[in-house]
Amino acid sequence: MLFMIPKKRELKVRKAILRGVYEDNLRIIGKNPVILSGRVPVFFKKMFLFFSITLLSILVNGNYLNLPLFPEKQTTASLITQRPSSLPAEKPVVKPSDYQAFLGGKEMPLSRMFGLEVKTIMIDPGHGGSDSGTKGTMGTKEKDITLDIAKKLRERLRKYGRYNILITREQDTTLPLNQRVELARSSRADLFISIHLNYLPSKPINIIETYYFGPSDDDKTLRLAEQENAGSHYGLSDFKEIIGKIGETLKLQESKEFAASIQKNLFLNSKKQNANVYNFGVKRAPFVVLLGVDVPAVLAEVSCLSNREEEIELNTESHRENIARYLEAGILDYLNKGEVSYEAKRSSGRR
Amino acid sequence: MKQKEAQGEGNILFVGIDLGTSRSSISASNNTREWIESYVGWPKDFISLQVVGKPVLFGAEALKNRLSLDLCRPLEHGVIKEGIEKSEEAVKEIIKYLIELAKPQPEQKIYAVVGVPADTLKVNKLAIRRAVSEFAHSLMVVSEPFAVAYGMNLLNNSLVIDIGAGTTDLCIMHGTIPLEEDQKTILAAGDYIDEQLYSYLTEKYPNSKFNKNMVRQFKEQYSFVKELSGDIRVEIPVDGKPVMHDIKNEVKRACESILPALVETTTEMIARFDPEFQVRIKNNIVLAGGGSLIRGLREYLQNALKEYGPCNVTCVEDPLFSGSNGALKLAQDMPAKYWEPL
Repeated sequence: MLFMIPKKRELKVRKAILRGVYEDNLRIIGKNPVILSGRVPVFFKKMFLFFSITLLSILVNGNYLNLPLFPEKQTTASLITQRPSSLPAEKPVVKPSDYQAFLGGKEMPLSRMFGLEVKTIMIDPGHGGSDSGTKGTMGTKEKDITLDIAKKLRERLRKYGRYNILITREQDTTLPLNQRVELARSSRADLFISIHLNYLPSKPINIIETYYFGPSDDDKTLRLAEQENAGSHYGLSDFKEIIGKIGETLKLQESKEFAASIQKNLFLNSKKQNANVYNFGVKRAPFVVLLGVDVPAVLAEVSCLSNREEEIELNTESHRENIARYLEAGILDYLNKGEVSYEAKRSSGRR
Repeated sequence: MKQKEAQGEGNILFVGIDLGTSRSSISASNNTREWIESYVGWPKDFISLQVVGKPVLFGAEALKNRLSLDLCRPLEHGVIKEGIEKSEEAVKEIIKYLIELAKPQPEQKIYAVVGVPADTLKVNKLAIRRAVSEFAHSLMVVSEPFAVAYGMNLLNNSLVIDIGAGTTDLCIMHGTIPLEEDQKTILAAGDYIDEQLYSYLTEKYPNSKFNKNMVRQFKEQYSFVKELSGDIRVEIPVDGKPVMHDIKNEVKRACESILPALVETTTEMIARFDPEFQVRIKNNIVLAGGGSLIRGLREYLQNALKEYGPCNVTCVEDPLFSGSNGALKLAQDMPAKYWEPL
């Protein structure tokens, strides 16, 4: 293989790749790959030569191939481009690449793509009232922790002033899932986040995972969904109807983005506090509460009550505040994705 | 190419290192090929130091003596565990040991290309560089699947799926160095299978005594998806007495647990690619890493992708060294002027 004479094109590709690797590594050590930018491809060199000869001959002869030196039309055209607003705009030519950028630009949330704003964010503290959720060995109840984190998160998001922050339950009250969904719908929430705690009876580890709605084939996830769906007060017929909404792929995509952002911020930050936390990633699961809501919706399992150390931690104010902070970062990351100034602000403001 | 080789014979030793979660390997321009399991162990105390007789142990040897060692698997879940100095130290030791295995001449300069899991590259670039720089004169860090692709000459329109222990890395090659969106990492990989298999076996045989290491060995020996003729029977002690256990179904279930995520991510990545070139990519899918040894996986993937049009999935010939060989090739092809400033 080594002695085969590679095709010229392949050689070129290889060269470019090697340079890419080199520049990448320069960037890692914080140097700027400027040394190599001086190299100009032969094609451009040729182009440059051609144009300079053309320009020279025009200047010398006054015309070239019967072209006037400064054609009148061209001058007006250049004037037009300087004041484009005062004249009827030309019909823009849509190139295939435009479509591609439009459709393939998954990096940008749709809300931003269409210039829509997220105004109302609904926070849903899991469980409540007679449904206490899971319970730690020390007796810490999921419903209390989630409510406290949700309230802290609300305070944090309120500070921005831009968003209308709603919460599904203010107190320790029983609230069936269908009512939560109804609340989100009637208040026209643009974003929905449900906060839960995990419980793994067999393993004493601490895990973080985030769900968005979708079919799942993982047994564990299905069991978890069954648990969280209990007491939804939805009948089978209702369920059938909402299942039909799975076709809303936009919501699905957005929820996935949202979930990824939440998970990333939660996990990376939690990891800094406690190295023994496991990343279980973003998952799909048929949670009723996520299905019913029409807007991007995620369910975050922010911590794990079956882990004793974590349970002790969860009982401290600072830890819950931290979790709220991470969720806030996740939400803002999702909302501001692709905004350069925001990214810069974040990285400079990082502690 | 000849000029490069002449260079290699001189006082420069090019090495390609594949730093994996489970196994690490090195390929050097003096034709050395070596691998170790990515375990590092330090004796726990004075007595264990007496027992093992070395200040630091690696790979299989470390595993064998694990009861008297502080054992560290530095790249668990595909990243250096942040904030744990021991992990960084362990990476350092592994690199040092691997380079020693390549037997460089005392006056030889070492130019190294290190392939690491894609996630490590994202978060621990500097840490990796720090760990390696002591032992190499110049070095470059690249992502694992990219090194595999380069080594196999799959520079254009191909998809490399590197199923490792900690992570499965997918990487689309389209004639340039892969960007962040061309790469994707999922946690459905070898360690995940181990965990599943462990829990299935505990469920089925609650009285039998086995550990994670045994489970990993079962997997490595018997892994398969879909169909396999014959039984899989292993010896596991029950109350101290060796008893044969049938674990075929559990192995199958555990191995298949990674399939949904794998298929989903693969189709997602292909779908995201320029539609004109999707067909070409589908004919150029390569499975690498230890996971490519799972029997029936290649056929399964090919079948699963069939509904999206014809496709061709192949496995690398030598999963253990495909990464380090690719890294070595990168090192040898790299123009000398690129090495200098690093």
